Amino acid sequence: MLPNNEVRVPPRRALVQEKAVPRDITAEFTEAASKLRTGQLVKDETFTLFEAVGALEIMDSKMDSGYIAPGENHAQALEDDYDVRRDLTPEQVVGLMDQLLCHEMAWHMGHPLSQTLFTSIYIDKLLWPVPRTIEDARFDRVPSEYPLVGLVLRTYCLALVKACDFVHARVASEYFYEEEDFVTQLYNRNLLSTFDSSHFYRLLDQAVDWVDVQEGIEQKLRDAIRSRLLLRREFLAAVDQDLEILDTRSTDSFVSCLTYLKTLTETAALGNAVPEAFSLKLQRKLASTVPPRPIVHIKQEDALAHMKRLCQDAIDMQQMLDYRGPSNFKTAVWTLLSRKPQPSVYIRSLLQALIVSDMTILGAVSVRQFLYDDLAELVLPSSILLRANTDEVELPSDPRFRVAQIMEGFVKRFAQPYVDTVRSACLNRCRVRRTICHTVVDWDNLQMEAEELDLQLQSLSAEPALQFQGGEATFSYPLSSWAYHQKLIQLRLILQMGFELSVYAPEELPGIYWYLSHICSTHLSHLDRIRTFTVAARKRDLVSSTHGETSAHKSPAYHRSFLYLERLTTHIIAIDAFAIALHALYVLLARHQVLPSAAGPDAYSSDKLCYELRMKPFIPISLPELVPFEEYQREATLEGDTDATILDRASKAITEARKAWEATLANGAFVEDISSPMKEPSIAIEEDWRRDIKDTMRACIGASIAIETVKKALLGDSPRSESDPLKLQVFIPEIGSKTQWHDWWIVPQISEKKAAKAATS
Amino acid sequence: MTQDAPSDLRYVRYDSARENEYVAAMRQLISKDLSEPYSIYVYRYFLYQWGDLCFLAMDDKDEMVGVVVSKLEPHRGGPLRGYIAMLAVREEYRGRGIATKLVRMAIDAMIERNADEVCVQRVKSSSQFSFAHCVVCRVQIVLETEITNTAAMKLYERLGFLRSKRLHRYYLNGNSAYRLVLYLREGVGSIRTSFDPYGLPPAPLPTLDQIFHPPATAQGNGS
Repeated sequence: MLPNNEVRVPPRRALVQEKAVPRDITAEFTEAASKLRTGQLVKDETFTLFEAVGALEIMDSKMDSGYIAPGENHAQALEDDYDVRRDLTPEQVVGLMDQLLCHEMAWHMGHPLSQTLFTSIYIDKLLWPVPRTIEDARFDRVPSEYPLVGLVLRTYCLALVKACDFVHARVASEYFYEEEDFVTQLYNRNLLSTFDSSHFYRLLDQAVDWVDVQEGIEQKLRDAIRSRLLLRREFLAAVDQDLEILDTRSTDSFVSCLTYLKTLTETAALGNAVPEAFSLKLQRKLASTVPPRPIVHIKQEDALAHMKRLCQDAIDMQQMLDYRGPSNFKTAVWTLLSRKPQPSVYIRSLLQALIVSDMTILGAVSVRQFLYDDLAELVLPSSILLRANTDEVELPSDPRFRVAQIMEGFVKRFAQPYVDTVRSACLNRCRVRRTICHTVVDWDNLQMEAEELDLQLQSLSAEPALQFQGGEATFSYPLSSWAYHQKLIQLRLILQMGFELSVYAPEELPGIYWYLSHICSTHLSHLDRIRTFTVAARKRDLVSSTHGETSAHKSPAYHRSFLYLERLTTHIIAIDAFAIALHALYVLLARHQVLPSAAGPDAYSSDKLCYELRMKPFIPISLPELVPFEEYQREATLEGDTDATILDRASKAITEARKAWEATLANGAFVEDISSPMKEPSIAIEEDWRRDIKDTMRACIGASIAIETVKKALLGDSPRSESDPLKLQVFIPEIGSKTQWHDWWIVPQISEKKAAKAATS
Repeated sequence: MTQDAPSDLRYVRYDSARENEYVAAMRQLISKDLSEPYSIYVYRYFLYQWGDLCFLAMDDKDEMVGVVVSKLEPHRGGPLRGYIAMLAVREEYRGRGIATKLVRMAIDAMIERNADEVCVQRVKSSSQFSFAHCVVCRVQIVLETEITNTAAMKLYERLGFLRSKRLHRYYLNGNSAYRLVLYLREGVGSIRTSFDPYGLPPAPLPTLDQIFHPPATAQGNGS
């Protein structure tokens, strides 16, 4: 993965450093210019679209932020005459605080500061000129005589800016996409990063104390202001030292934020807006070449909801910090990040830092151990490969020494790409898919490299060959088997996330679901192969170990591995069966021309070209090879199968799918630790996981009904000739709509056409 | 929507001899749909190099009511890729198939020039500072107020374009976009480009070490 803090702008052109000797070129210039017609364009070779788009036209009010229209007064155009020392009513202070919170959240959501917080005249005055001491950080040189402004509002603003400073630092130090996820631009302002947090807590305490004794302010307003200050205090505490959660496991601050957010929601109506305290003119003062852009206004309820979600996500994140093996860890990360709406960029950045920093997972497990645990879970429940250690065996002639060396090389090569498969889930959803399209090619190569290592290890560990599925004798190839498993997951995700991001046209659905089931069945045979070799290894262990002790010692590892393989198999069978059912259903709809199509009759495209374009990420993959178009077309259209056969296939598959999803649900989100008899308490992330499976099961039921409807139309009482069009209306619901139960399972809504006037039961 | 344009319209190819008149009308037409106008250089960039891939729809009074601006060049040393860069039809003329006709003319012209594929790449407003890594631009999916963009999506999809990927918060207003692509000949998907086609910004891939041990220690100038 890329470094996080890299600003992706082209390198500045180096200034010409050599001493230039001036020379009069007037004559040459005139000569050259005379060869051009008036108005003739000359394009420099190096003038790119980027430069064209980046160019601003001076004196165009839409592009030039410094533009002052003819007749416009300079002072008025540039300066606001808002008095930051003016007295404010408590209602106005509440209104301002809430407006500032909206701007803060809009910035969290990805809008630039120049269109959000930096349009506040109060914030501007605090930050410019740059304060040298915390006392300097006030609205005006002469402090306001009104404590509600000079103490309360100022403290609120200061604590808000300081919280932004922490959020900015967190996001900027992790992997994110500038402008897509977040805008880091500070326009040459500093978010009070030099001041220690203690100043802010002190001021907040003072402000709260002051508010508490203001008998002159109505109680409900006092409470409203008080809770807003306390929200700032808790939020600041939450984002300050946010990595400490690894040690403290405390989410108290975020929990308190939720309490105050509730009060904020209840008292939102008390505030009076002060729109004149915000101005677009401030953009002219910010160090930027960006054209003037409007103030972003988000609804207060959206801002509160965003902050609430942020806090809740942070609280729930705490539940995954105890390392309970790689598969549990990966399930937790993926489930949390698949929440809708997706956790905010701050949460995603914090999670990245928690997942891995200083080569340590969750601050507790070395990357190497994490990798080994995963190998043990999938392919090597008990193997010399994971136990060989160069520290213990120092004799280079000992095969264990060589094994340890090879495994060392494996860790060096695979640790990063492997951890990245977990980390990349922290990107925005569009980027998750794009990144997988990119990394799956790396994994194709990694698998081949792992195969090389497997061959070397085979001879060193004297692994006996095995007859697999009646074929030739073969070996387990544990490392490359593991790599292949990772790759198959990624190939499946590319297809499934395509549904979620709604990139497929309706006419593509039969083919994509076919391909999904193709990947699943490939994966299932691969798991079968792994299981066969693990069973054989287990048998060998039992026979060879004369000391029952050794065998018993290894037993839990085998148990966990078999359990894991079983769970994986059940899950993939569920996906496979559902994909087969939908594939069959869509084939029938397409065959009878009732499946909507995005492409028109005169489209430039062809099935073959569409297939090539859609499968582009799969083309460079050597294993499993891309299915050739002709074969794909035969399979994906179920060429030669009658409607009845296909209907039967659909019905059987959906029944199978429902059973398999039930079983998956029963297996639960996490592999229970057999060494601890205590059942883990149900946690929020587990609830999310269960909801996801249940939604899938709802989609299964929806698909059953759709299949039945088609069955009725095709094989119904009234005889229908082949040429008769099916009297069905098919509607593909949008992703995220209520009728679409799950983002990965596009279930068509099928109804009988009204004209058919079918007899109602 | 009718495929045949009304007969009172004339479709012409851009003519650089009439630049002053055409470009002014074009800018007016296109700027209407944009929150931030393109500078004159954007128009010149396209028209100077690919004026023959620009088509105009004129009404009976010879006023411009529709325009398509495109380009065609090898994509990172790989396939010959055409781009539909700008497309606009005057509001009162929408829904008459003018845009479809213009896009078809552009694609046909690209096919004549042996294009391998076509992408829709609406030029995205930019600034010198921030958009450097990504000048490839796409059709917008949702604009709460402008239905024209869903209409644009449909238009391209009817012509056979597929959504190849989704782009998160692609536009200034925070809206997402889709990259729309149409292959025109077989084998385009396997043509190698000189650079990864999935749009990760070009930067060396650092190791975990580099990421988690910032240069301060690497350079040995720590405290």
